[in-house]
Amino acid sequence: MFLLYKKKMKDLGIVASYTIKEMLKKKTFLISNLILIVMIIVGFNIPNILKSFDDGEETGSKILIVDSENIFEGTLETLNQMELGYEFEVTNDKVEFDTIKTKIEEEQIEDAIVVSKKDGKINIEYIVENMNMMNGVPEECINALTSVYSNLQISKLGLTQSQLESLNPNFNFELKQTEEQEVKGNVVAIMLLSLVLFYAIYFCAYQVSTSITTEKTSKIMETLVTSTTPRTIVLGKTIGIGVVGLIQVVVLVSVALICATVCLPAGTLDSILDLSQMTPFLAVMTIVYFLLGYLVFALLYALTGSTVSKPEDVQSANGPVAIIAVVGFYLAYFTMMNPTSELNVIASIFPFSAPFCVPFRIMMGVATPSQIAISLAVLIVTILVIAQVSIKIYSNAILNYGSKLSLKDIVRMYKQKDN
Amino acid sequence: MGLKIENVNKSYGTKKVVDNISFHIDKPGVFGLLGTNGAGKTTTIRMILGILKKDSGEISWNGKEVARKHVNFGYLPEERGIYPKTKIYDQMMYFARLKGMSKQKADEAIKFWMKRLEVEEYMYMPAEKLSKGNQQKIQFITAILHDPELIVLDEPFSGLDPVNSELLKNVMIDLVKQNKYIIMSSHQMSSIEEFCTDVVILNKGRTVLKGNLKEIRNTYKATKIELSTVENAEEIIKNLGLEILFSKDNDYEIAIHGEEDGYKLFKELSKNNMNVIKFEIKKPSLNDIFIEKVGKSEE
Repeated sequence: MFLLYKKKMKDLGIVASYTIKEMLKKKTFLISNLILIVMIIVGFNIPNILKSFDDGEETGSKILIVDSENIFEGTLETLNQMELGYEFEVTNDKVEFDTIKTKIEEEQIEDAIVVSKKDGKINIEYIVENMNMMNGVPEECINALTSVYSNLQISKLGLTQSQLESLNPNFNFELKQTEEQEVKGNVVAIMLLSLVLFYAIYFCAYQVSTSITTEKTSKIMETLVTSTTPRTIVLGKTIGIGVVGLIQVVVLVSVALICATVCLPAGTLDSILDLSQMTPFLAVMTIVYFLLGYLVFALLYALTGSTVSKPEDVQSANGPVAIIAVVGFYLAYFTMMNPTSELNVIASIFPFSAPFCVPFRIMMGVATPSQIAISLAVLIVTILVIAQVSIKIYSNAILNYGSKLSLKDIVRMYKQKDN
Repeated sequence: MGLKIENVNKSYGTKKVVDNISFHIDKPGVFGLLGTNGAGKTTTIRMILGILKKDSGEISWNGKEVARKHVNFGYLPEERGIYPKTKIYDQMMYFARLKGMSKQKADEAIKFWMKRLEVEEYMYMPAEKLSKGNQQKIQFITAILHDPELIVLDEPFSGLDPVNSELLKNVMIDLVKQNKYIIMSSHQMSSIEEFCTDVVILNKGRTVLKGNLKEIRNTYKATKIELSTVENAEEIIKNLGLEILFSKDNDYEIAIHGEEDGYKLFKELSKNNMNVIKFEIKKPSLNDIFIEKVGKSEE
């Protein structure tokens, strides 16, 4: 009995290590990961690359302000001190529309603002090359001009310093909630975590299906099942691909974090990700949920992969699993905006959405230990049930070289005796 | 001892693919498993190897129920399969390790068999770069690498050229000398006649004939004579009331109804001082028996 168990464990190790070696040797795997790493490095360096093209003269888009009637009485230069992201060139000369048009076409200026008086009102024209993509005059320009003009008029009233200060609002805005539970973390970090988990789990699991169909296509299955049990093949393959997937995720996330630290201006990463929420517990739980989520979908994919014999049938056979994964992901994703809602708690327990949901609930500090325990228990029970069903169907379906199996065939194979 | 198959049945849904098959391989050697396409050969082999569950009946090896843990077997499936992108050595090592061999023993065995079957130069090449015949030799090696007691070869010679067929035949002869039990399934009756002592013929899942090949053939009367003479012998043949099936340049194929007709003809040829180059009384070949038995069961 012990020897048999030892042999099974040894076979499991042999299948898993063979799978790992074969995956790591695949040119497509190496090239796609290399491309991803290059994309990450380039992505984090885009600000630096853009900077290198900058000749240093431009401080931002140049906007010409034409105040020929001197309505702003020379105060418009203060706009350049407001750091609006534009360089303002102010002129009190009269400039014709055609001249402005030429300046925009020759890229001397990006936009122009023409200030004039009409029927006792101040008329402001905002001239752009093409207003297709614009909803109206930019809000920040309206606010800035309004502010400059108000200050000009107020200064004419001859108010004392304290009167002037009292005119400027000194608001202190604070956000408070009625619920007792406090939600931490920021949306960007949460969305990133969920997305990374979804893609990592989904694509790693998908590899299991492809790998099994490849073995069926190459007709190696018969030799394989006479060498070891179908259970060992499925589990060994799933473990092997899972290990490679985990290594892949760790490498890509590490590259991203190193690039963010090295390439982005100091403090940018902290402001985006709020690294104070990245605790060791969260890291461990993220890996645990990655592995459990991967197992759920990998075993489902093992089932669908064993039901087809031609590579062109893989996609249609995998359709139902893809739908389950997407529904699970969106259930987690859409309820994360309201993490204390009942629906989000349900998403953290539902086994197909829990892997994408629980890590961000932990990050936000809303996941209670009992919720995590229930979620893990449900996930583990689901994995055991799926594994039992998948291995049984796989055992009966792998030697079928005909057309894609129908749902009826799959049910019949589940009822068949184990091979 | 040996392999015992008793009253084995297997159905897929309502279709019975193996119907109450029984046979016994009690001594080392090559056993022929014959049948038309869809006769149930592959299903029977899969049940023998324990990769397909039987519905009823008994399959035992040396008195123990057939299971991976009880039988050290090697299998060359009809559906040839190989990892196309993986190096030959790597995939052989993988299967050898799964069959329980140590890395060192597997390495020695791989190198020995690759040399024996003259495919040594392809050891570190991906399988897809090999010709079909060489791929088949690789699969044959995979089946016997771990020195199994029971070897099942499904169409081992299909796709091989005469030189490679001869190479494989020599290996099979050696395996028989090493007291291996070999089950060979083939459509090439000449190979079966050459190697097998016992056969079973299946048709639509049923056994239509089984037993010792020589004894089976002895139960059949001679049906033909192949004759070659220096002089024209047509008149002598016709005078005995025998039918000439084929004749060309004093070579004849003559229909007879038993050995007695042959003896009579031989005496007449001697009496007439005919110079005989070839005289052979022929019993039905395995091919003839196969066609007759399968044809009868179809009726």
